[in-house]
Amino acid sequence: MRITPAEVTALILSIKTAILSLVVMFPPGLFVGWLLVKRAFPGKAFLNTLVMLPLVLPPVVSGYLLLVLLGRHGLVGGFLFDVFGIELVFSEFAVVVALSVISFPLLVRGIMAGMESVPPELENAARTLGASPVKVFWTITFPLALRGIIGGTILGFSKSLGEFGATIMVAGNIPGKTQTIALAIFNAVQLAEDATVYRLVFISTVVAFVALWLTERFTLR
Amino acid sequence: MENGIRIHLNFRKRLGGFVLDVDCGLVKKVSAFLGASGSGKSTLLNCISGTVSPDAGEIVFGGEMLYSSAMGINLPPEKRRFGYVFQEGYLFPHLTVAQNIRYGQPNPTDSTTVIDILEISGLLQRYPKQLSGGQRQRVAIARALAMEPRMLLMDEPLASLDNTLKARIIPYLHHVKDAFDIPILYVTHAFSEVLALADEAFLLSDGKITATGEPHHLLTAPSAMPIAQLTGVENILSLPVMLSDKARGVTSLEIGSQQLVIPYTDADIGTLLPVAIRAEDIIISLAPDLPISARNILRGTIQKMDIVGERTLVSIHVEAHPLSVKITPEARAQLDLQVGLSVYCVIKANAINLLWR
Repeated sequence: MRITPAEVTALILSIKTAILSLVVMFPPGLFVGWLLVKRAFPGKAFLNTLVMLPLVLPPVVSGYLLLVLLGRHGLVGGFLFDVFGIELVFSEFAVVVALSVISFPLLVRGIMAGMESVPPELENAARTLGASPVKVFWTITFPLALRGIIGGTILGFSKSLGEFGATIMVAGNIPGKTQTIALAIFNAVQLAEDATVYRLVFISTVVAFVALWLTERFTLR
Repeated sequence: MENGIRIHLNFRKRLGGFVLDVDCGLVKKVSAFLGASGSGKSTLLNCISGTVSPDAGEIVFGGEMLYSSAMGINLPPEKRRFGYVFQEGYLFPHLTVAQNIRYGQPNPTDSTTVIDILEISGLLQRYPKQLSGGQRQRVAIARALAMEPRMLLMDEPLASLDNTLKARIIPYLHHVKDAFDIPILYVTHAFSEVLALADEAFLLSDGKITATGEPHHLLTAPSAMPIAQLTGVENILSLPVMLSDKARGVTSLEIGSQQLVIPYTDADIGTLLPVAIRAEDIIISLAPDLPISARNILRGTIQKMDIVGERTLVSIHVEAHPLSVKITPEARAQLDLQVGLSVYCVIKANAINLLWR
């Protein structure tokens, strides 16, 4: 099995954008997960729905909404293009945005599951022992929720690796620039390049299997 | 310490249909709140520790206002410095015993005192799940003390332990009481723990304090009856030891000029022992010279008779000591019991439970 340089480029791009989106979304994911599990506030159900929406929305729809928002005539994209001449869509950056939005619900769900497993009594006990809410978070909540947090992280990462619909809408399918593994498979199928399809399918299956297996190892005991 | 009010509690907290409404001052070293489950004991401690906010009122510790709805003061729990020992322990499962103890310590080098007093030096490297119930509670107490608290709050720290373990932990609580010069607020539904530990007791019933006083007086008084009945024990007596005979396996307590024989317990003559007798476990006899195996036949006088449900509750004074006896209405009719009648209370030694020693 010989992997071509183009396929390597696609694989590297997939992994790089998946990691980048994870790095960007991890802090807000942690915050939102904590907020939804450990705090009561008005509009909680609304925030929860908003965060989970990409999970049930067809990825193409999420991608389209992003395109409308970030495109040259969009609310955010238009401003950036007019003022700075920056074009967001159809770039590596757009891939990262697409992956972030799609994988965020899975990341947050994992974090929430982890935080729900931490009894509030332990956090209260820590408070009575003199710990500030911030210290309680980092010394009690976070370490005890770690299993779920890692689970959510790996699941979100795996989701990013295979993302197709939103990426193609907002970032296009530009080889060497925005063409991730999933998009490359689609391309190869379209061009009937069977050998390429087999190799890429094999690679993505292995990557997904390893990621899921790691998740199970961390979340089951 | 005995002078003046150290802690003043005057607040209200509503939780659903339940209202906790207290107004009291704690003056002694160990104050116990005694109440059945659902009487508001945990809510009371949570309000004092700051993990729950009252709806209105004041909590004052020494001269310091911890909570005041009028002044808009509500000190967060981490600023109150009250050690809190929970019924379930709530040790941090991901930390070793040593790390648990160090968690709240302002000065991480000095924890030898608490480790010695609670005898946990052999457990320091273990994780909470490797501890037995009694060890876990000792570590929980050590952790609360290591933070150098201004007061110790204990929420039924023995409730999750069986009776043998309870008896083993109580001496540790005595050591703590002697070694640390801080007030202890102890909450429980067990008479025995109040008698064993407390200097003053408060009866908490349905969110309100219904009686206050010195534990022995309070708990042998009629006002304690509702709580005693909730815990299934109607008669609590505090009696001095007359003699203890290990060979015969009995200990005799002085009840007026008579004797109450209980199973052998190692106690010095003159020590006050609190004992509990259920009202169903006492038999009323009209004659003293019965050919029966029961060890105790106490002479007394009927003071009062009340119908309680399908039973008759007979109050008998054995000299100065009141005893409640539950009998059926048939028995009452057959014996023709009347107020003022002299009767004999027959009690098996094994039906008398020592509350603590």
